[in-house]
Amino acid sequence: MSEKNEFFLSRWFKRAFHGSDQEIRNIMEEEQVETPFRTIAKNFFAKHTVRVGLTGFILVFLLVLIGPRFWVLDLSEQDSSLVNLPPGNNMMSIPSALRGKIRDIAAGRTYGVAVDTDGKLFTWGHTKITDKIDIANIPDEVRNADLVMFAAGDDHVTAMDENRQLYVWGNTRLQQGNFTNEMKKGMKNPDESWDIIQLEASNQFSAALSSDGTLYLWGNSNLADIKLRKQYQGNIAKVALTSNEYICLLKDGTVAYTGYKDKGSVFAEIPEVLNNTRVVDIAATSSTVAAVTADGRVVVWGNAKNGEKNIPEFSAPAKNIYGGRFHYVAWLENGEVLAWGSNKYHQTDVPASLHKNGNIKEIFTGNFQNYAVMNDGSVVTWGLKGFLLGTDGLGRDMLTRIVNGGRITMTVGAISVVIAAFIGIVLGGLAGYFGGTTDLVIMRIAEIVGGLPFIPFAMILSAVIGSRLDPTQRMYLIMVVLGVLSWTGMCRLVRAQILAQREMEYVTAARAMGIRESSIVFRHILPNIMSLVLVSLTLDFATCMLTESTLSYLGFGIPLPTPTWGNLLQGANNSIVIQQYWWQWVFPAAIFGFCTICINMIGDGLRDAVDPKSAER
Amino acid sequence: MGKYILKRCGYIVLVFLILSFLMYALYNLIPSDPARQELEPMRHSLKANEYEALYRQTRQQMGLDDPLIIRYLRWMGMWRDTDGTCNGVLQGNFGYSNFYKNSVIEVIKAPMGNTIFINIFSTILSLGITIPLGIYCAVHKGKRFDGAMQVVTMLGYSIPVYIIALVLMFLFCVVWRIFPIMGTKTPGMTYANKWQEFADMLYHIALPVIVMTIGSLGGMTRYVRSSMIDALSMDYIRTARAKGLKEKVVIYSHAWRNALLPVITSILGWFLSIFSGSVIIENTFSLNGMGRLYWQGLNNLDFELVLAIQMFYSIVSLVGSLLIDISYGFVDPRVRVDK
Repeated sequence: MSEKNEFFLSRWFKRAFHGSDQEIRNIMEEEQVETPFRTIAKNFFAKHTVRVGLTGFILVFLLVLIGPRFWVLDLSEQDSSLVNLPPGNNMMSIPSALRGKIRDIAAGRTYGVAVDTDGKLFTWGHTKITDKIDIANIPDEVRNADLVMFAAGDDHVTAMDENRQLYVWGNTRLQQGNFTNEMKKGMKNPDESWDIIQLEASNQFSAALSSDGTLYLWGNSNLADIKLRKQYQGNIAKVALTSNEYICLLKDGTVAYTGYKDKGSVFAEIPEVLNNTRVVDIAATSSTVAAVTADGRVVVWGNAKNGEKNIPEFSAPAKNIYGGRFHYVAWLENGEVLAWGSNKYHQTDVPASLHKNGNIKEIFTGNFQNYAVMNDGSVVTWGLKGFLLGTDGLGRDMLTRIVNGGRITMTVGAISVVIAAFIGIVLGGLAGYFGGTTDLVIMRIAEIVGGLPFIPFAMILSAVIGSRLDPTQRMYLIMVVLGVLSWTGMCRLVRAQILAQREMEYVTAARAMGIRESSIVFRHILPNIMSLVLVSLTLDFATCMLTESTLSYLGFGIPLPTPTWGNLLQGANNSIVIQQYWWQWVFPAAIFGFCTICINMIGDGLRDAVDPKSAER
Repeated sequence: MGKYILKRCGYIVLVFLILSFLMYALYNLIPSDPARQELEPMRHSLKANEYEALYRQTRQQMGLDDPLIIRYLRWMGMWRDTDGTCNGVLQGNFGYSNFYKNSVIEVIKAPMGNTIFINIFSTILSLGITIPLGIYCAVHKGKRFDGAMQVVTMLGYSIPVYIIALVLMFLFCVVWRIFPIMGTKTPGMTYANKWQEFADMLYHIALPVIVMTIGSLGGMTRYVRSSMIDALSMDYIRTARAKGLKEKVVIYSHAWRNALLPVITSILGWFLSIFSGSVIIENTFSLNGMGRLYWQGLNNLDFELVLAIQMFYSIVSLVGSLLIDISYGFVDPRVRVDK
């Protein structure tokens, strides 16, 4: 009687895997008889394809389930400087030949350029700007020149050689290489007024500063403010470039916005704290600028969206400051290095080994990469190494989107299967059990719904109802639409099975024992057809995932920017993406194809195990 | 038989009416005001009260204030319009496409031709491959080739067709540059004769047809194979073999005739898709077919066009299911559909 008190599910479970109660099992053991569920399980796991499919699916499932914790999805994420990057992990791999001989490093957007003490040039990282332009294709005149100074912009590199000649290579289509007349004059006749002490490059424009305080700016004037107010010329000690403006440190120790935007620029509002102190160093991120005062404090102003203003406590006065795209690195007088700002690509995670390795000689900061050259010649790097699966057309990490997209695709697939199964089992049960008019009506409805062209109908529902919903509601809508349109198969299966089972002896026996009808259907018949329902569920799950992704691919499923495996491929329907950015469609397609194949393998194996007759086919 | 068909036709009409009403109601959920759209150009030249009066008049003329059922019946052509005539679907007026500024019938003509052309090719090709392949696999069940085909067909129906399309596009259009990447004709080409035009079109639709064929290969081959295995395991096959009939006769005359019955269902399902076209493939390859027209209609909010196409789809699927049932009787004399 103790069994009666157990919860019915656990009793089912026991029966499924341990057979019935102990006594009976002992008799069975002698006769080597198995419970049907055991036979199913044995047949199921005996198949090679099932084991492969199950392992594969569990791996993908775990990745999708646990992955989003590590690769957190940010829907508003986009970065124009990281678009269409191929898979790679080499953005900070400095060639070993450079070890101990670094003269200058220029860290650009996704690449690095360096010159060693022999004047030899090195490039690393993702240097291809477009399919034609490659930073690594260094022009011969530059290769032959003995370079002393470097600056790397978003898509071009500026360099100066010993004879004070300037070179620009990379993307020069937008006037990045158009020197001004004064500069040409200076290069032709390099006297004291052409003594370049600082080279800077940013988004399609560059700056060169001469020791007499003359600032030369050149590049794409449509994008950047590259004019200088006359009264400042000859008075400039240092320049810092943001993504399309710049700011100057004057020789008298004040900071000035010297461009022509004047009050229109956020950088023109120089904080009052700086009025009474001398500034010793300046730096800029893409949208903020920072200044270090003589007493070692750091002041940041501008449009700080990534925590550039969250300056940490300094253990000593700051000496120098360097700006990345969204972060700052400060070098303190006691040799410590601190970083703050956006830490999305670990660009502010200064490695602990940095302070153990001895003294820092120089620090170079690129968009997301940091290089600290130590006194012993070694280089410590931290920041963005690269993207394992590349980035998409908006600079978003493909891996993050694939992992999170998988979660959404699987959730939608699973929930719509559950909805479909619920409707199918209930209606199929009703039709099979009651028969007659109920059966007729339900089967006619099933026929109509099943006969509708699925994809067009789902598109229409999504377009008409979905137009007034927000993205989250639209996701629920897709689940419901898929569920409501795909229950007919399950309904027919359940009805047919119930009709067949009703004639079985055990039902007759149950009836003879006077068990209630509802109890017969749900406690006797349903568990018997559960295995077939399970098979159908597995195969339907794959189908629902396919349908969801097809809808998303056509643009009528889950709307962007929410990723799903389907709408990740939506962007791939474009000849440029297919030709040049293979990683944007190969990886989502591969994982999705793999996943559906695994599920179908499991489903097929399950069907063969449940219905041995089908295995003979 | 005649009585059965009549009964089924009545059923089709009933279902069509229900479906079309549901669709019409669905479209009426879309917030839009045709009267306002109509008067928009005159809006600034009229005074507010004049505009208001005209607006009301137009609404009445268009019958926008009538109940949904009346508007539906008007659209169907079963209720008098405000001008006293019936002008709806039954009269052959399927509506007016706002986007193409033409009647829906005119808009649909060319894409329909393309879709039928493309689909006939792919259907013939896939049937030509899948049926012999399925039969071969069934006869050589459990051999190495059969095992390999099982895996291949599994891949075929597991991988979404647009992924197959992308991969083949990449291989054939980008890497090897054999086929053009999209469209149905070479841009800017003038043809010397009809034959040249036809050849150019064949060249353009080659890849879509290949993709469609591969996409449908998986499911169909498995279907043919399993129904053939069922037929081959029957007692009459043993009898036929015992009689000493040639294996060819046993397979094609005895087994295949019987295996055909379940296969015919999906073959007909296919022929129906000749008209509906594949939304995915036509989109991926930018083919001007029904599927793409439907997709564009939805994207352009050209709802009268979409409604008409949707109605057309529904009719095709209803008539198709009738055809399937009737064809059973022809294929298999044992089946009596009118029972």
